Amino acid sequence: MRQVWAVLRREYVERVRTKGFIFSTIAIPVLMLGSIGLSAFMAVRAERSERQLALVDFTGRLGEEVADGMAAAGYDIEVVGRDVGMEELDRRVLDDEIEGFVVLDEETLLEGVFAYRSKDSPGRIRRTLLEGVVVETVLEIRLSATETTAGVRELLGGGRLTFERLGEQVSEAEEISGIATGFAGAIILYMSMFLYGAFVLRSVLDEKRNRVVEVVISAVTPGRLMLGKILGVGSMGMTQLGIWAACAALIGLLGVPMLAARLPQADLSRIVELLPGAGALVLLLVYFLLGFFLFASLFAAVGAMCNTEEEAQQANFPVVMLLLIPFMLQMFSIDGRGFAWIDWAALFPFFSPILMYPRAVSGSVEWWMVALSLVFMVLAVGATAWVAGRIYRVGILMQGKRPTLRELVRWVREA
Amino acid sequence: MSDTAVRLAGVTKTFGDHTAVSDFDLEIPRGTILGLLGPNGSGKTTTIRMMMAILLPDRGTVELLGAFPDFERRARVGYLPEERGVYEKMKVLEQLVFLGEIRGMERKIVRVRAMEWLERLDLGEWADKKVQALSKGMQQKVQFIGTVLHNPDLLILDEPFSGLDPINQEVLESIVLEERERGTTVLFSTHLMEQAERICERVCLISKSRKVLDGDLREIKRRERSGVVALEFEGDDGWLSRLGMTGVERVGYAHHLTLGPRTDGDRILAAAVAEGVSLRRFELLEPSLREIFVRHAGDAPSEPALRAAGGAR
Repeated sequence: MRQVWAVLRREYVERVRTKGFIFSTIAIPVLMLGSIGLSAFMAVRAERSERQLALVDFTGRLGEEVADGMAAAGYDIEVVGRDVGMEELDRRVLDDEIEGFVVLDEETLLEGVFAYRSKDSPGRIRRTLLEGVVVETVLEIRLSATETTAGVRELLGGGRLTFERLGEQVSEAEEISGIATGFAGAIILYMSMFLYGAFVLRSVLDEKRNRVVEVVISAVTPGRLMLGKILGVGSMGMTQLGIWAACAALIGLLGVPMLAARLPQADLSRIVELLPGAGALVLLLVYFLLGFFLFASLFAAVGAMCNTEEEAQQANFPVVMLLLIPFMLQMFSIDGRGFAWIDWAALFPFFSPILMYPRAVSGSVEWWMVALSLVFMVLAVGATAWVAGRIYRVGILMQGKRPTLRELVRWVREA
Repeated sequence: MSDTAVRLAGVTKTFGDHTAVSDFDLEIPRGTILGLLGPNGSGKTTTIRMMMAILLPDRGTVELLGAFPDFERRARVGYLPEERGVYEKMKVLEQLVFLGEIRGMERKIVRVRAMEWLERLDLGEWADKKVQALSKGMQQKVQFIGTVLHNPDLLILDEPFSGLDPINQEVLESIVLEERERGTTVLFSTHLMEQAERICERVCLISKSRKVLDGDLREIKRRERSGVVALEFEGDDGWLSRLGMTGVERVGYAHHLTLGPRTDGDRILAAAVAEGVSLRRFELLEPSLREIFVRHAGDAPSEPALRAAGGAR
């Protein structure tokens, strides 16, 4: 046990102390949050900061209302008189004095069709907004011309579907939370198993390549060495994930109430409802641990049978596919619904973390499916460790060319 | 406990159609220093790797400290592989502590002992530096410390002195001799005959994957005496021809006389005294290891041979 502990500690300390670890621990969440925040910020900013819009109203009835609607949405819009010619407005657009202009005419009043003239096609946000404001204004005017009761006018606010679930009671917030947690969990599982698995491969390969393993193996059995290594890298991964989780919890527990205090008008209770529960987090940990052991042994075996980084990249392919396929399937069925066969594929132990976890937390599969997947995974961890351990034992001391599949089978049989 | 530290019997190892070691027998008594000699590519490293169970022989048996080289035995061995493998990113002291720990030593104890060794080999101030910051020679010394740190019963050193400057070679030689005083069995391979001659009690000569000769160095030399006497004296050398000696050769100040059936050492000595020359030196010459090797293997291990035989391990 002391040997496993020594290997574990070495692996852990040597990794956690590197600049790479510290950097990635800080940089990955900063980059992820940053890129989401930045793209949202840029989208809004790009829409707002653009130049002025103009509006010509040939009907004489729509202009003010539409301009007010657009102004309310944050646009700088100027209503120009009918006497300013279209040529003049076109020129102002081409000379970059204004971004573009909206033309409202009789046809708009009849059918809601209107022209927007600009050098650049309007973005989605602007298009939807303009259409919404114009159609609403037209409807308003048309309805007020006829003698309509207030009840019908309310329809303008748009209809709404209210969903009533039969059977088990799940609130809408819970449901959205489940899907969001599942999706985020699938991404975290995919990335962490890939990343930390690759660390194991790297570590095995390095030791084999510089022949330290020959000295180490004179005192430690290959099984213990492999176990210590996997536990060491796993502990490092847990440390990193733990730091991230702690930061997220800190933001959740301190940040949200602070935000709520400063912005009393915003309804933040919904955000709180969307946060994943403790059960979902524990399940994530369970799938991570089982999945990590599963893939780490595979990666260790791949590392042991290769001699160079290039070789390892090729030999790695089947293992990477085992991660990539479920990830793709998950992307096809983000809300955990749709294809029933994917639910069954989620029982395949190598696919389970990425496929079954989101299904489990969004409640789209029966609980026994989840339990079964965990049982399968435990069995698979044992079987994989056994096979990989045998390949590892022979592989780490083997120099020369990479073994063929047939040789691998022989290693497993005879080791 | 058996009195034999290492026993190989009929060991053969082939790689494809290349035979690296062929029908090899060897016994190393406990407490001796044995030099495994031969040109590079002659099978030394393969033999050593089989002793450490890194390679398994195709035929024959390997015994280490009385049994198959399992983990229990190997943990009592200090092994320095031919390739100098180190954890480059690790700090020197921590690397040594790790090596001690996996052999079951207490962390605190290894730390102290490793530090003592580092001081002794002039590496004290490097203890907290990363291994990759050290020169190749220094790394080799660190690795060497790793092999003796846990007071092994048997040291197996593959070319331990290669690549070191003469001063450090001497330091390591003295440590090897010291370990031997402690009762450790030492096996080391080298292609430097002169060095082996200096420190070995026993030698085993290998050439082209076969054992040529092995045994106690002094005994071998006695057996291999060429029957030449080196004679140095002042005065006229005319008396030598009167003795009826056939092979007389001048080497520097000395005369090398090849003894015959009618001219043994005593007769020469008596003649010299009778002649009244003042003797400076009278020595029955023993052949050097190199000469013995050439005599048995047909060609001397030399650097070019090393390169030609190259990669085969």
